[in-house]
Amino acid sequence: MAFLITCPLCGPRDAYEFRFGGEDKGPRPDQESLSPEAWCDYVHMAESRFGVQQEWWYHRRGCGTWFTIYRDTVKNLEVSPNDLEAGK
Amino acid sequence: MTRLKNLPTLRIHPDLFRSFTYRGKTYQGLEGDTVATALYANGIRVFGRSLKYHRPRGLYSLDGECSNSTMEVDGIPNIRTETTVLTSGMTVKPQNVKGSPEFDLMGFMDGLSWAMPAGFYYRVFHKPACIWPAAIKQIRQAAGLGALSPDFRMKGRFDEIYPAAEICVIGGGPAGMAAALAAAGKGLRVILLESRPWLGGAFEYRAAAGRSGKPLFEGARGLAQSVVANSNIRVFTHSPVVGVYSDGQVTAFQRGGAEKSFDERYIEIRARTVVVATGCIERPLLFENNERPGVMQAECALRLARTWGILPGSEAVFSIGHDQGLEAAIDLCDLGLKVAAVADTREDGQDPRLLDALAQRRIPVLKGWVAQKAHGCQQVSKVTLTSVNGHFNRKLPCDLLVASAGLTPVTGPLTLADAKLAYDSHTGFFLPQTLPTWLYAAGRLLGLNDFEAIAASGRLAGLKAAVRNGADAAAGIRDCENQFKELPGPARGSKFVSAPRSGKKAFICFDEDTTLKNVDQAMDMGFDVPELIKRFTSAGTGLGQGGIPGHNLPLYVNQSGSSPDPQPRPTLTRPPLVPTLMATYAGANHALVKRTPLHELQEADGGRMETVGDWKRARRFSDDARCREEIENVRTNVGLLDASTLGKFRLFGPDSLKALQRIYVSDMSRMHPGKAKYSAMCNEDGCLTDDGVIVQTGENDYYFTTSTGRAGVTAEWIRYHTRFDNWDFSIVNLTDAYGVINIAGPNARAVLAKVTKAAVDNKAFPYMVYREFEVGGVAVRVLRLGFVGELSYELHVPSSWMPYVWGLLMEAGQEFGIRNFGLEAQNALRLDKAHIIIGSESEQRTTLHDLGLGFLWHRHKPEAKTVGDAALRHTEKQPGRLKLVGFKMENDSAAAPKDGSPIVDKRIRGYVCTARLSVALKEAIGLALVDDELAAVGSRLAIYEDSCQGQLIYAKVVQKPFYDPQGKQLRM
Repeated sequence: MAFLITCPLCGPRDAYEFRFGGEDKGPRPDQESLSPEAWCDYVHMAESRFGVQQEWWYHRRGCGTWFTIYRDTVKNLEVSPNDLEAGK
Repeated sequence: MTRLKNLPTLRIHPDLFRSFTYRGKTYQGLEGDTVATALYANGIRVFGRSLKYHRPRGLYSLDGECSNSTMEVDGIPNIRTETTVLTSGMTVKPQNVKGSPEFDLMGFMDGLSWAMPAGFYYRVFHKPACIWPAAIKQIRQAAGLGALSPDFRMKGRFDEIYPAAEICVIGGGPAGMAAALAAAGKGLRVILLESRPWLGGAFEYRAAAGRSGKPLFEGARGLAQSVVANSNIRVFTHSPVVGVYSDGQVTAFQRGGAEKSFDERYIEIRARTVVVATGCIERPLLFENNERPGVMQAECALRLARTWGILPGSEAVFSIGHDQGLEAAIDLCDLGLKVAAVADTREDGQDPRLLDALAQRRIPVLKGWVAQKAHGCQQVSKVTLTSVNGHFNRKLPCDLLVASAGLTPVTGPLTLADAKLAYDSHTGFFLPQTLPTWLYAAGRLLGLNDFEAIAASGRLAGLKAAVRNGADAAAGIRDCENQFKELPGPARGSKFVSAPRSGKKAFICFDEDTTLKNVDQAMDMGFDVPELIKRFTSAGTGLGQGGIPGHNLPLYVNQSGSSPDPQPRPTLTRPPLVPTLMATYAGANHALVKRTPLHELQEADGGRMETVGDWKRARRFSDDARCREEIENVRTNVGLLDASTLGKFRLFGPDSLKALQRIYVSDMSRMHPGKAKYSAMCNEDGCLTDDGVIVQTGENDYYFTTSTGRAGVTAEWIRYHTRFDNWDFSIVNLTDAYGVINIAGPNARAVLAKVTKAAVDNKAFPYMVYREFEVGGVAVRVLRLGFVGELSYELHVPSSWMPYVWGLLMEAGQEFGIRNFGLEAQNALRLDKAHIIIGSESEQRTTLHDLGLGFLWHRHKPEAKTVGDAALRHTEKQPGRLKLVGFKMENDSAAAPKDGSPIVDKRIRGYVCTARLSVALKEAIGLALVDDELAAVGSRLAIYEDSCQGQLIYAKVVQKPFYDPQGKQLRM
């Protein structure tokens, strides 16, 4: 993991300091209405996007914050929100 | 041999001798020698035999570009002797020879080269298919250079460092040094990596006069002095770069030695900007027998003399294609080498001053001429030179043939950084067309030749890098660019030239013994691009990491016209850029463990310490593997257990209850002050991840325990599952702040009463209750729980007071015969009660219901969105799951089956988790996970024990717990 991740508290740090927490799927849905299959999909199915995705990271060897970044899964580099808006 | 003396460029110490053995004989080298130069100085010319054809090989380049001079040094094979500093007492042995390098019994392989065309092992020995296994066995034995026994134990000290800087400069020549000085001058931190033992690069040893009239080496050394004196620049010599990765990460392996704290160490640098100034190596000249001992590159010959004081031969012929080759001929002639002739592949374009100098020394220069064939068996004795068109030729005797086609830029770090290279016909180089935003290139690798131009390009790159790091350098950059315009630009490079020849023994790759003829064969078979030809012929896939053929192969393929690319296309480079020791990747490998505050006391008491996860813990306190006395002592008397590794947390804040409701399956809102609540955490699949005890210690203030293994991830877990909620709560990890002493047994209360004034009778301090009081003046938290099934107290003591409190309990317990018990005893004791240990009785896929702990789950708190709630609902009645059962052996006197034994009928139906011969019950009991169809009380289980040879043993499912089902002992 050679790339840098920007922690909201600590700034850009080596990716080694963080633990990956999966794609952002939003807050968990109200589970009463969900069938077991739909619930399982929410927990386990990943879009695995080819391109920029929003995902969660935990600053394990640092401040211990959970936060999201945008990462280009093709280049394996973080994409800053500015670049994202610029349509890169 | 006598060395040249009094040269200002020498790096050897003429009076400091270093003795070493080579093939059993002792030789002398000098301080500053490499193993290769010491061998050469002692007259060794044949350094080894080549991979396939066992051709004699000697010293060719001094930068480790090929495996010619790899030897076994101090028991380690494949050491590149030309980059390994000689130390006293080294043992050096040649590789890949049967007999001696001079008379190798495998030398006949050279005559069989016709039978080994390109990729022969893909096509020969396959019909009939049955001969292939025998053939491949022989090929494997013959292949490879160094040999390693499977028993080999690597010796040495290996280390790793992770320095960070704003700018990392790769290459310590004038360009790299100028870049470093420019950036450091703007107040930025610079790390400079240089693979040789000293700074200076290609100019460090050259005595030719520069523009100022002073020798080039003085300019280089002047820059080096400035760099070393600059406190913003950290220099690593002996540090070749191994990899370059995204976002400015650079890795290098630094060679150490006796005076350093390591033999080799891994350097990983995170820099915001990287400057690559790695310069050039020489491009080999291709002709028949171009790798014979006695054939060497121009800078190799020059550095042998200038740096190590060794005249490389007595009678030399030069066949070169660049001005630096002419410069080497002039300088070596002045140092005493007889130069019979200089063949230059170029018809014109030579620096006229160099031609004059050669004329003054009466050295004939043959323009448009090239070496065609080197003659001699083990050593060059004669060379045939021809005009490039092959019309004219001349045979000249010589014992040294200095052959070099020109220069090749070291573009490895650029390719790794994802730069795109394209062929430039002026320089003949592959130059970078695109670079990542965080990387700049400078110096000779861009085709520059002039010292001042190279330094200026370095300075420019350094300033641009500084600007990228926020410095203000616009004026400096303007000045530099103007200065640059006045200086010579990239020099005209030399073309791919070779005399007409058969190509049978013109080696394009020395490591893999690939000849031009092999490349022709590959192209005839339809391989038309360098990447494919490289793999099919294995050219460039050896130790030299592609340095020797890297430039020639694309040029040759392009010249053939067989390739679809109009321009030569380089092959891809991958890390490591230089060969690296596996041991350095492994690193120092410190055995890191955590110790509890009672570690020394437990050991002193006879504790057998074992590594359990991150910790050292006592398994038992006697030689009895079944720990019968420890167990008996807890059941009938009183014992002490060090449980300090338990996870301990404080969770507090206005929303702390909401956080607890989220992660614990129970209803946490109905907690009574002082009552200890046992609950579990599940994951989103309803599977048990952790269990523990929670107490409310104040308003919106909780203290809870977790298992040892989960302590490190609990905070992460809680924060993850509340990440969308923005709740106001805090977590403090107190795992290391408190140690834990578990005092257990019928006499536990009696002992505890002696060390505290607090009321500890059953009414004042009942089962599943939490109290805070003082023991010997130390404030402790006490939980009355029952993991081992007896009256017990869990004392949470501030870590630094642990030995003291433990000592008080030991003393108070003397009259009862109190003693320690360890993990194995605890394991057997809790098994009597069918209490689970996560990971032993549960798998990743085991739900709370499977374990019979479904009663912990409170299903009516949907607003809490408890983790695992949905899955617990879905799996409550789900069939086909493994269920946890207790069992006893059918045969009363049977031994307990081994942990992990499968439970079978026609197929595997489950397995034994833990089973022991219970000390209290005097019979074998166990816990197992079995298919739900076999989970009913009374079911018969057939157990297949390891090595039972088909003899199954039988057990019956029984009610849990096995011992004291009413829990009377716990509640006394």
